Amino acid sequence: MANLERAPRKSFNDLIYDLIFKNYVWQSIFRTGYPNTPRNQMLAVATNVFLHLHPTRIHRTHVKITHTYCLGGLSFFMFLGLTVTGVLLMFYYVPSIERAYQDIQELEANVRFGQLLRNMHRWMAHAMIILVLLHMMRVFYTGAYKPPREFNWVVGVVLFILTLLLSFTGYLLPWDQLAFWAITVGTTMVGSAPVLGDESKFLLLGGFSVGPNALIRFYTLHVIGLPLVISIFMAVHFWRVRRDGGLARPL
Amino acid sequence: MVSRAAAAIRTRPRREREQEVLVWPDLVFIEFISALIFSIALMVLSAMVNAPLLNRADPDTTPNPSKAPWYFLNLQELLLHMEPAWAGVIVPTIALVLLAAIPYWDRDTEGQGVWFGTKFAGRLTVFGFTAATLITSLLIIWDGSLHVVWTENIIRGLGLNSDFSWPGGLDWFRNLRGFDTGIPWESLGFTIGGFTMFEDWRAIPLGIPGTTTDPWLLNLNFPSFLSQQIIPVATMVGLPIAFVLFCKMLGWIQTRRDIALLIFSAFIGVYLTTTIVGTAFRGQGQDLKPPWDIVVLEE
Ligand code: HEM
Repeated sequence: MANLERAPRKSFNDLIYDLIFKNYVWQSIFRTGYPNTPRNQMLAVATNVFLHLHPTRIHRTHVKITHTYCLGGLSFFMFLGLTVTGVLLMFYYVPSIERAYQDIQELEANVRFGQLLRNMHRWMAHAMIILVLLHMMRVFYTGAYKPPREFNWVVGVVLFILTLLLSFTGYLLPWDQLAFWAITVGTTMVGSAPVLGDESKFLLLGGFSVGPNALIRFYTLHVIGLPLVISIFMAVHFWRVRRDGGLARPL
Repeated sequence: MVSRAAAAIRTRPRREREQEVLVWPDLVFIEFISALIFSIALMVLSAMVNAPLLNRADPDTTPNPSKAPWYFLNLQELLLHMEPAWAGVIVPTIALVLLAAIPYWDRDTEGQGVWFGTKFAGRLTVFGFTAATLITSLLIIWDGSLHVVWTENIIRGLGLNSDFSWPGGLDWFRNLRGFDTGIPWESLGFTIGGFTMFEDWRAIPLGIPGTTTDPWLLNLNFPSFLSQQIIPVATMVGLPIAFVLFCKMLGWIQTRRDIALLIFSAFIGVYLTTTIVGTAFRGQGQDLKPPWDIVVLEE
């Protein structure tokens, strides 16, 4: 007897779904369909280079907001946002003492969304410092530095220092009174070191006081040197979170 | 010998697969939402508040007060109370090294992965933070001689003595430098076996002449050394020790983790207090002032 039952009609939603996720182009980019089954969901995480920072499954206590408050992730998110806005700022900014200040003024006055761009970069930098400090506190108070995570805590301390240095080097770039004197005060503190104080200060400024050499040094460190170094340390940091068995959990 | 790697794996908790959730969607969703919230909040903030831009840099016009970026103002605050080498370099270096060393000292794997994992963690945190904040504030008030101003104002205000001023005999207690300027060091020499110790406390001969050209090594200015180095350093070392002993006495400290909790919380208290004072309470000449009285002059 012939089978009288017809295959169920595809709903409109299914049609759309197939159109988007089951075509040749989509599947060349993402190997899986939309991650709507456990298998696809794990594949989505494991086969995507960005999501692959994560494991495919984690312990349920670690997705509770109150365990991490997302602070490490948000620190990283600030770094990404700062990179994007920073690259855009570089289009308009020339690190010479003749042009720097004027460039910022023109960015604010003449560039569409220029002021917004600068504000975003500035406030994200402040936010990142606060978030990193809070992240450190959360790690400390959850006892997550204990073995086997000793080394990742040290990597964290280095990340904290690098975050401060990134912000400090950026502070000089607008070349206004605030920038100039803050860096003057800051580098004077470096100069008071009992050993190699004057030498480090000279190295940092490229001279005895804040001037054109200091500006180009701070700029280079700010836009390429320190971002490279901090990226490397972040890579190690994230790698170690995975290697040390994910986030800390009671024994 | 057990390798470190093997030991590290042994200290891992057992994997509980039945307690695990999928990263997609559970974690990715949370990350997405928190990133979204932060993006919106920062966007709104940036639309409302502009990043500061003052006049073009001018090396000939010094703003008074001149301040480092806010995240270094805790160090700039320390600078007012001790020798610059300590405040600007040695103290922060030691603090960072100690911070990084915590896990190598507190190695017990007990109590990890949960908030405030020990029995008295809550009390130690609250006590460490509050006591450190209070004591730091008091020390800053004292070194700013506010107690002198307040005492004078109160005694005058009560009509007890309308032209009362801080007694000269207590000059040494005006502030930290009082130990330098408020003590009659000239008359403090004494004699042992025919040698006068010291004829001049401000120039105690140290090196054998000819062996060094460093004036500091040749002659020690003891009063200044005392007020700018010995007392500040003794305070920074002594107070944490006192904190630990006090909490031990109360029976709150049972493990190294407890000591770490206490000192770290106190550190956060000091860090915050000095940052806030440096940012909002320092006016011209770095004098202590309420935030609403602070104006920046260009000189
Ligand atoms: C640029 C700065 C930093 C970034 C982007 C960052 C990022 C992260 C992320 C995404 C995690 C995963 C868990 C979470 O979100 O809490 C993490 C974990 C961790 N971080 Fe950081 N971090 C930074 C700075 C620090 C600092 C300053 C410390 C400590 C001094 C630190 C120590 C740790 C440790 C020990 C873990 C493992 C926590 C656990 O197992 O529960 N990190 N970090």
